[in-house]
Amino acid sequence: MPQDMPPSGGYEPVQYKRNLPIRGFRPGWYLVAVGAICTYGFYKYGVGVRELNELGREKMWSRVHIMPLLQAEEDRDQVRRYLADRKREKELLGRETSPYHSDRFVRPYYAATPEKPLKD
Amino acid sequence: MTAREPRFNHHVLVDTTPLPDHIPKVKELGVSSAPLMSASFFIGARCKPYNDDYMKCKTEANGRGELDCMREGRKVTRCAASVLSDVNKHCLAQFRAHWQCLENNNQQMYQCRFYERPLNKCVFDNLGLEKVIPGTPEGTVPVHLREKQIFQRKFT
Repeated sequence: MPQDMPPSGGYEPVQYKRNLPIRGFRPGWYLVAVGAICTYGFYKYGVGVRELNELGREKMWSRVHIMPLLQAEEDRDQVRRYLADRKREKELLGRETSPYHSDRFVRPYYAATPEKPLKD
Repeated sequence: MTAREPRFNHHVLVDTTPLPDHIPKVKELGVSSAPLMSASFFIGARCKPYNDDYMKCKTEANGRGELDCMREGRKVTRCAASVLSDVNKHCLAQFRAHWQCLENNNQQMYQCRFYERPLNKCVFDNLGLEKVIPGTPEGTVPVHLREKQIFQRKFT
């Protein structure tokens, strides 16, 4: 029985390559482009962050400059109430007592409410 | 919800007793937040020694600052009041424009540079107080002097 043999002159070359045109640039350039865009974006972000920092610094310092006078006003009010309390206590009890074993100033937790409003 | 009668008790809780006579009186500022913020750097420029003095006194008073530092506190308040009255005397229009802008813009100073520049210039010319932000990095334009700001809304 005759056996199949390759054709004379050999087989045709097998076309395993596709001859499609390659679109676009070489892949490396895409990487470069993405990198460039990201770098620009991060740069702009950094500029914004620095400006935000400066704005925050401005806001903080404006508060820092005001804070002592706000504190002074509040303290004066607290002292006024404290002294009024002490005076009232002295009138009612005849002596000044303190629940604290120190001479620190303690903001009162409770306010003594008079029966009648104090305003006129 | 409940049938409880709404009742205000603030008028009972407010203690209106004035300070005793041996403590010198000082008129409180009575300024709301936007004008204070607008004038804050000028207050800081003129009153920094008093402010530092007061805060140092409070720190070192060991918990009795409220009672022991009243003298320094009065100085702080008087100094701030002097700044505010001077600004009102010389730069009232610019001051008013700026703090009203702050009021309308959520108290964001960067939205109000348009009004801030004339105010700063007027205060510097008349009172000699300059707005300086401490701690600004070397070699950068301070943020209140920049021509272009990223976060500023377009001025309408």
